[in-house]
Amino acid sequence: MSRANKLFGDKAFELLKDLERSSQTIPAFDDDGVRQVLEEIKAIFEENVAQASSYNSSGDRSLWPLLNYRHAALQRNKRCLLAYLYERSKRIKTLRWEFGPIIPGDIKQALCEPEVQFFNNYSKSLAAFMCNAGCSQGQGIDLTNNLHPPKSLYIEVRCMEDYGKFELDDGELIHLKKNSQHYLPRAQVESLVRQGILQHIA
Amino acid sequence: MSDDEHIVDLQENNDLSTKAALGKDEEEDDDDMEQITAQKVLEILETAWINEMCAPEILPDQTDMLELMVSQVSHMEEQMKDLDKNDFRAVVHSMELERVRYIMASYLRCRLQKIETFTQHILNQEDVRESDDKRLSPEETKFAREYSSHVDEYFHKVATQYMPNQQRGELEQRIVAPNLMSHVFLKANVEVPAVIVGVDDEEVDMAPGSQHIIPYQLVADLIQNNQAQLI
Repeated sequence: MSRANKLFGDKAFELLKDLERSSQTIPAFDDDGVRQVLEEIKAIFEENVAQASSYNSSGDRSLWPLLNYRHAALQRNKRCLLAYLYERSKRIKTLRWEFGPIIPGDIKQALCEPEVQFFNNYSKSLAAFMCNAGCSQGQGIDLTNNLHPPKSLYIEVRCMEDYGKFELDDGELIHLKKNSQHYLPRAQVESLVRQGILQHIA
Repeated sequence: MSDDEHIVDLQENNDLSTKAALGKDEEEDDDDMEQITAQKVLEILETAWINEMCAPEILPDQTDMLELMVSQVSHMEEQMKDLDKNDFRAVVHSMELERVRYIMASYLRCRLQKIETFTQHILNQEDVRESDDKRLSPEETKFAREYSSHVDEYFHKVATQYMPNQQRGELEQRIVAPNLMSHVFLKANVEVPAVIVGVDDEEVDMAPGSQHIIPYQLVADLIQNNQAQLI
């Protein structure tokens, strides 16, 4: 075999471990790793097909364990790879809940093309669901608000960057300047807090 | 002008539906009834919310109750506009509204999460259920189907299309199902005699208000009949 010093499935497991270890919101898509695993799957599969046919013609029972072993390795590779993708899709979903319908530029770089598409599709479905959720009058409930049980109506926030003017529901205009502090209705500023523009202080 | 009409519409709707929901309590006078109804709806929603949070599988949807509550909330919001912002009542009311909104949002979020985790399993179950026995609301079903196809598309694009033909399918291997035998805490609402617990047909009588720890599957029907609730 060409890769005698490497065990089957090593690379696939490596993928998963890297993802698990990373502390970032979502690490860059491991294009290379995924390709290597896919190549390994293909190589194993072809070897197995070749030997299966020689087994069929010769009836050599000694090939059995090898065939089974390769099959197991193949299944494992596949499983690890899909687990890798599944975990990533879960993190992409979290992005939607945290940052809203637009992915911040620096995170977008970590995603591959199909992932961006998945994000957009997910975002669309979720938005459609929220528009119609629990009511036929088409007002909908924004599920990404009210993430925590409400403790008080107003919270004290500090502004982390120059955001500009912000209009409250009752028409009051507030000028959000860097390092300024405000006492605002929680419901209306929650999304700003989540985006990191405002910081909730005590 | 159109705004005003809309509000009136809402209130009428609200009255109609609350009456329809109550039905049997007709002898109550009108004002009282609305008060009680709103509270009842909230109670039902709260129970449904807690049950949903605790149960491993998805429970029947409460779209009707949610719709009632949503219109109730907007109705209250309209009324509160007349109150002074610093009025004590306004503060209390808006706090209450915030709580109600949180419950509704959290309830729906919880269901979405289950739908996302067990997509295929839930869809398969829904397919065999009778139409009046469905557990998902139409919107949820739509979301589930879309979600499932998005995940498939993503998997296909990144990985499965590069795999050898025979290794692609096996979708049924990927189905995630909830563990129905996981233990839950529950409180009996009414007296429930002879609940079978454990494998050797051991039976337990539940007194009203008594609390138990028990595998979910054994009591699933009690929760749906509202004979018991999860805590």
